[in-house]
Amino acid sequence: MSAPDADSGGGSDPRFVERAAARMLDASVLERIAIAAGAVASALLIGLIVVGLAGYDPFGFAGDLLIGAFGSVGALARTLRFATLFILTGVAVAIAFRAGVFNIGVQGQFIVGGITGVMSIIWAAPYLPTGPLGGFLLIVVGSLAAIVLGGLYAALPGVLKAYGGANEIITTIMLNFVATGVVGWLVAGAFGAEGATATRTERIPDYVSFPSVVFSSPDFSMIAFALMLAVVAVVAVVMTRTSFGYDMVTSGHQESAAGYSGVDAKRMIVSSMTFSGMVAGLTGAVFVIMIQGYYTDPTGVGNYGFDAIAISLLAANNPVGVVPAGLLFGALESAGSYITIRTDVPVQLIDGIVGLVVLFVSVPELFRAFAKRTGLGGEER
Amino acid sequence: MSVRGMAERHGARAVAGVVALLVVGALITTLTDISVRNLITVGYVNRSLEMAAPIVLVALGGLYAEKSGVFNIGLEGFMIIGAFVTAATMFLLGGTSPSQAHIWLAILVAVVVTSLFTAVFAVLLIRYQADQIVAGLGVWFVALGFAPFGAALIWGSRSSPGLTNIANLTVPGLAELPVVGSILFDQSPLVWLAAAFVGGAWVVLYRTRFGYWVQAAGENPEALDTAGVNVTRVRYVSVIFSGAMAGLAGGVLMAHAGNFIGIGQTMVNGRGWLGIVAYLFGNYNPVGAAAAGLLFGGLDMLNVQFQTVGVNISSRLVNLFPYVIVIAVLTLWGKTRSPAALGEPYESED
Repeated sequence: MSAPDADSGGGSDPRFVERAAARMLDASVLERIAIAAGAVASALLIGLIVVGLAGYDPFGFAGDLLIGAFGSVGALARTLRFATLFILTGVAVAIAFRAGVFNIGVQGQFIVGGITGVMSIIWAAPYLPTGPLGGFLLIVVGSLAAIVLGGLYAALPGVLKAYGGANEIITTIMLNFVATGVVGWLVAGAFGAEGATATRTERIPDYVSFPSVVFSSPDFSMIAFALMLAVVAVVAVVMTRTSFGYDMVTSGHQESAAGYSGVDAKRMIVSSMTFSGMVAGLTGAVFVIMIQGYYTDPTGVGNYGFDAIAISLLAANNPVGVVPAGLLFGALESAGSYITIRTDVPVQLIDGIVGLVVLFVSVPELFRAFAKRTGLGGEER
Repeated sequence: MSVRGMAERHGARAVAGVVALLVVGALITTLTDISVRNLITVGYVNRSLEMAAPIVLVALGGLYAEKSGVFNIGLEGFMIIGAFVTAATMFLLGGTSPSQAHIWLAILVAVVVTSLFTAVFAVLLIRYQADQIVAGLGVWFVALGFAPFGAALIWGSRSSPGLTNIANLTVPGLAELPVVGSILFDQSPLVWLAAAFVGGAWVVLYRTRFGYWVQAAGENPEALDTAGVNVTRVRYVSVIFSGAMAGLAGGVLMAHAGNFIGIGQTMVNGRGWLGIVAYLFGNYNPVGAAAAGLLFGGLDMLNVQFQTVGVNISSRLVNLFPYVIVIAVLTLWGKTRSPAALGEPYESED
């Protein structure tokens, strides 16, 4: 009674992934945008209801969200700063998801990239000149090292899936825990700064930073933002205009068809995971160079890799669509920073709203049914 | 090959895993010159059983859902909700010193609340054909956000103050026996509850009509439909059961720990995921899943043992053992045969 090809573990069954992908791709572009908007609106609405039930003023809270995200030049710079990281991690997730591989490990690859970036810059700094030229060279060194290590850390679950049948959803989640634990151990021990009161590494030299343009914020640079957009463009071109990208997306949609056209499905799994991890690793380097300047215990570096899953799904796993979705999440995160300081509403609410977005995005049928019932069908808003 | 024969053959793998762990343990101890007697103590066995109980419970639930054809990947999230609701109910009933009755009542409330949430989740999965992987991740993120949010509302911080642990079930006299006395006759009642669920889940799955319906809903829903059984209803029951078990698992975890922790990945910290791996490792057999759950529980508690016997290895690294073992397990034994209709929405012809 057992089908000969049904040998994969749990949800990594290729037929299962195929079906999941097919359902996501059923929708037309307009419909996807409507579903994304519907998901975000529903999640925000529930968030506001929870705020109301918890005894706060939901309208005031909604206003605070807007002010916190866009209310001042500083808020705007903060929104763009978070968006830079969200868009990059979102693109990392989108690469894997488009290839039909569920890389839930972007958070771990982001952490590996971050610590690699910091340590390689610290180690290479004595051998390079100081000043702007040295800063530029060290940014290149740190980013390349982070890309390589991030890619390798993602290649591991890819190899385990392709050649060992290990469900990548679970192995990547486990590897997130492993990355957090091992990097935490390194920062507290071997890589820890001498004489520092907190658990952290040495700082990278001051001259290793992106120059401030337009905004004078020390933690945000339009140069990094532009670099991020360039990465998005490169990924989009690779995925839509090269044979590698074509093979990747084809094996994501339909493994059997890709197999007939001579694509080695196993190698494709490893390559797409690696590609995805490279972008995640680069994000780690951008995070340390632009924002942090050192590395701490990874439990405190934010949830960029997890929120990226929601961002990618909102964008229907399209790298270009990730830009507006990432901007939205940047705004939410930025508003979160504001409400932490200005209100008593616990900031974890924002994480809950992100979770609701993911939940709603997974159910396009719900919105189709809603549109049908309310007569909003067709163009939908 | 009969379903049962296959299950039994694969159940042996989990046992092999436990044996492998013992061998590794023996190797480590001989190499590092520590006697096994000091490492594997009665206290260690008790701590492992306490830690295994929630993993086993959540695994049993997930097993039923997946057997029926629905991959409930939201178990980690439902476990977090269960742990939080248990802690919150304990606190609302008895402040910082709730009684034993309050603990039991709180676990019951947690099971009811998570069942209600899972019912909504099941409607999204079954009626509205949500993407099971994405929706499950969504549940995890929702719980990771709203549980610490709720904790912050109640306690002003993401973690609760110290509440009460569940008291052991002690048989006077017998509890004084060496070794078995403490393990069998002075044990957490929740460990016994988990053991009872393992037996019950095995009997229901392999020896009752409903168990065969669950298996058929995942393997051959058309045949089940033809036989006049409502496939959708079987799946609803299985998924809601999996959520109830995750809620119970969260409650048990909380009752053993005595306080709720909502920082980082919360106190559940991947144990729902370990539950999923436990039933995959046990190849969907409740007894195999329980053996795998024991293995993970034992690994989870090695930390304390290493510290007491003075093995010089960072607790941060020892804490990663279960996750590393999971990766090895999935790679070496990952080729389980999932139910044929897993993840496939079923629509009856009539």
